Amino acid sequence: MRLRLTNLSVRYGARTAIRDINAGIDGGKVIAVLGPNASGKTTLLRTIAGLQTPTTGEVELDGANVNKLSSHDLASKIAWVPRVAEVSGAFTLRKVVELGRYALGQSRQRVEDALAKVDLLSRSESLWHEASAGMRQRATIARALAQRTPGGVLVLDEPTSALDLRHLRMVGETLRQCASEGDIVVTAVHNIPFALDIADEVLVLRDGQLTLAGATNAVLTPSSLGHVFGVDLAWATDDAGNRHLVQP
Amino acid sequence: MKMKNIILLSFLSLLLLGAAVFRLLITRDVDGALSFALPEQKFLMYRLVPLVSALIVGSALGVSGMGLQVLLRNPLASPWILGLSSGAGLGVMATMFAEHTTGGTFFGGQTLGAIVGAILSLLLVFGLSRKRGGIDPMTMVLVGVVVSVLCGAGIMIFQHLVPMGLRGSFTTWLMGSLPEVESWGRLGLLGLAVLVGVSLIAWWGPTLDAACLSDDEARSVGVDLPKIRRRLFLTSSFLAAIGVILAGPIAFVGLIAPHGARIILRSSHRSLAIGTAIVGALLLLAADDVRQLVDLGTGRLPIGIVTSVIGGIVFLFLLLRGRGRV
Repeated sequence: MRLRLTNLSVRYGARTAIRDINAGIDGGKVIAVLGPNASGKTTLLRTIAGLQTPTTGEVELDGANVNKLSSHDLASKIAWVPRVAEVSGAFTLRKVVELGRYALGQSRQRVEDALAKVDLLSRSESLWHEASAGMRQRATIARALAQRTPGGVLVLDEPTSALDLRHLRMVGETLRQCASEGDIVVTAVHNIPFALDIADEVLVLRDGQLTLAGATNAVLTPSSLGHVFGVDLAWATDDAGNRHLVQP
Repeated sequence: MKMKNIILLSFLSLLLLGAAVFRLLITRDVDGALSFALPEQKFLMYRLVPLVSALIVGSALGVSGMGLQVLLRNPLASPWILGLSSGAGLGVMATMFAEHTTGGTFFGGQTLGAIVGAILSLLLVFGLSRKRGGIDPMTMVLVGVVVSVLCGAGIMIFQHLVPMGLRGSFTTWLMGSLPEVESWGRLGLLGLAVLVGVSLIAWWGPTLDAACLSDDEARSVGVDLPKIRRRLFLTSSFLAAIGVILAGPIAFVGLIAPHGARIILRSSHRSLAIGTAIVGALLLLAADDVRQLVDLGTGRLPIGIVTSVIGGIVFLFLLLRGRGRV
């Protein structure tokens, strides 16, 4: 499985959200997309997920343009997790996860496994509109896990913004496991330590342009991030000898 | 279908049967006294026709409302609030006026007028509510109210233009009423059309479930959104138009019935479509029962007034409970 972005640009009226992005991503990797607010992360992810038609350029998955895939093929190859999910029916969390199997045929086992991976099995009958932000976020991730085909693409837009530390770690491990099964995992994150923890490679956007790309440890340095985000950063070492980015 | 839903749907059906039997038995004498007995054979028709009409109109308006609520992802959507009923009403009025002034009859008559009016008003609301390729729910409700008011004004203009003698029948029609005289052939045809419409929406239930997600999420799980929206758009308009053809513009049934069914069933749209059809029919039949019971000394109340009073109270209750999302 190979994802290829070629001369990708998206404009909304007069505003350019992303400009001339070129990248190639192989299966089995977790890619973190970072950048300041309004740098084009969500637009890039929606375009990769086949939900936004680019103004110029294209996204190819094994040579096929994702914008030309049928509804069924799109669902079977690319699973999407939005930053904030919306559900207008009176559905339980389990029902929301089951919707991931809409086009692919119901599978009780896949739904149970997905709920277990985000620690929602015991709360699966809670109503969506009564659930906390963290539970909703985990249910949305579980829906994508129930939907994904191993060896496909998983695209997530800030999937951990409402998660506590335990569930953050749990989701990080799950994303790594998906990559180990051959998936391409592309996720926007604001949490730099989380990106350092799970990502093989990083794409850094600024003003809609790809400013940095490469292996996580090579790209996520105090100087490069300080330049992109406009802050001073430095490495600090904890008692266990682990390095952390901190603001001095 | 889950056993729990089958039991709940059976219970709702029993309630509907009870309301229907009550409607058949209840009698108000000329002196205003109430009694309960089956009418004589020659009067039975005057009970059966409104009863069957209530079943057809209630289920049509209810399921139309459910379809619109999913189509527009808005719990306030209903044929009445979105101007569909008024649009259909204007279509009927325009046809009645044209037939009156020309002295002839048109192909399709009031039926075609209602369907064209309903579809045109929904197209207007749908088109004017679009923002950046999506639907803005608040704009849509406001546009719906404005379209409803404009259609109401159009209806009043036609009412003003007809001779004084005809105005009474126009006004009665506008208040909404179940017919007491109607050919069984026409009722059968409209009933069959509603059955097909309700069955189609129930058949599309799993797609309606997935369409309750945001546009991006629905597309990513494999929903062909333009296709299901086209289908819902046409079927909901068609069902609302049938309601208006038979009973005039009846308010609130299309809004309340889907919410009532959701509160009772809390399930997917396949069961919900069937439940909404039963609750819609039950609401209208119960309203018809109420108007038989209430005697203001000036004849029976038009059913539209009863549904407006009951529906208005229930609607306020839903809003104040903050359950707009159900």
